[in-house]
Amino acid sequence: MIFLRRQVPLLITLITGIVFAAQYYVPHPASEQMLTSVTKWLQIIGGFALVLGVSSLFHVHAIKIRRKEAGWGYSFVLYVSMLGTIAVGLWSNGKEAVDGTMTAFGWIYNFMMVPLQGTMFAILAFFIASAAYRSFRARSREAAVLLIAAVIVMMGRVPLGEYLIPLSGDLSQWILNVLNASVRRAILIGVSLGTVALSIKIIFGMERSYLGGGKE
Amino acid sequence: MTFAERMLRIDRRIIFLVIGFCTLLPLLYPVGLPIKISPEVRGVYDYIESLPEGSVFLLSLDFDPASKPELHPQAISLLRHAFRKNLRVIAMTLWVSGTGMADQVVTQVAREMGKESGKDYVFLGWSPGGTAVIINMGQDLYGAFPADYNGKPTKGLPVLQGIANLRDVNYAVSLGAGNPGVEAWYVFGKDKYKFELAGGCTGVMAPGLYPLLRSGQINGLIGGLRGAAEYEILIDQKGKAVAGMDAQSATHLAIIVLVILCNLFYFSSRNRARQQGQAGA
Repeated sequence: MIFLRRQVPLLITLITGIVFAAQYYVPHPASEQMLTSVTKWLQIIGGFALVLGVSSLFHVHAIKIRRKEAGWGYSFVLYVSMLGTIAVGLWSNGKEAVDGTMTAFGWIYNFMMVPLQGTMFAILAFFIASAAYRSFRARSREAAVLLIAAVIVMMGRVPLGEYLIPLSGDLSQWILNVLNASVRRAILIGVSLGTVALSIKIIFGMERSYLGGGKE
Repeated sequence: MTFAERMLRIDRRIIFLVIGFCTLLPLLYPVGLPIKISPEVRGVYDYIESLPEGSVFLLSLDFDPASKPELHPQAISLLRHAFRKNLRVIAMTLWVSGTGMADQVVTQVAREMGKESGKDYVFLGWSPGGTAVIINMGQDLYGAFPADYNGKPTKGLPVLQGIANLRDVNYAVSLGAGNPGVEAWYVFGKDKYKFELAGGCTGVMAPGLYPLLRSGQINGLIGGLRGAAEYEILIDQKGKAVAGMDAQSATHLAIIVLVILCNLFYFSSRNRARQQGQAGA
């Protein structure tokens, strides 16, 4: 059993890791055909992952409802909404509209999901304003630099700011294009090197946490 | 408690009210301040302008309803521009929760511009796999999307004539609100399949994409509502983004004033505390 649970996944990871890292540099039709096949597998696995995710969500919330844990009412709402949407979606054949007429599934999408998600995102502006007022203080030199840069970018990104202080637009562009881009690039290179190192560790079996911590 | 200390502990609902008014009033009474066009937005516009009629333009609407206010106007402007230039439009999404919205925007603009599904444009919909879909499209477009969103087989559609995979795409724009989005289209798409790429994103994401822009990995970037407003001006069809710029101006200014006030109160109360400390010593 250990062979199936440990050695086989490690072997698959080692072979696919090496083969597909090398595949990128081999433009031979056979190599391209192999990539085409494997990406199809990936899409199929992606479909299964979706089913797995939904069933896992059902399982977690079913436990919460059964044990009447704190906030189990929300889990119940989630259950009802999810089952209801799945039923309506299947009934509408997964279509929001048929020949220009909105289906029940389309109604749920347009009049429930769209406004709910929009509202969630919109209230961010209010919380950001409140948080900025409470915590955006020049307590140190670094905080002062951040504060000044933020004010310039906020001014430079809106017409009123550019109208009041014409230089703010160019200054904001310079901050985004030079200071921001160079720092972001440094972070990106660091993250990429870390990803390469982690990938090598996974391919060669040095990093095994993805296998889970089941019984050996 | 001093005035400054009281002001620092102001009820957050007052701040919410200020922001609410700053958003609402300019929407009711627009001012229409001039909007300057940035080079990154002009980059996208100029590239589409330079494409000959019949070129293949891929628009990936990688966002969900949460980012609709910023990315929807971008999608509308890009589609209007592409249809006006008589480009062959391939639209799709990598976000399952954005499929219905993407279908609506593509259909709405196509109808407005008198374009026909299957002949002038195609909406492929969503396919599972996230970034794997991009690689799959790069290898074989018809393998990734055997049928369009309406269930019509993609093979044989006049709009896809001569297109086998992403290598045949002339220009792709990903309007991304996260992952998979612009970066995924660069890493898994442009880098291997060598098509020109640009990005559109929410305002908060834009600074993170500047390294890609500066290195030429993307040739243009439409950032947030401001970017959408610039694009609306470029195509000379003002819409929701231009209308929203006054509200955004007012809220930005309100936040700046709030931050300045908070710092004034902070320094005032700190100085007072110091003075009291020295007097006590």
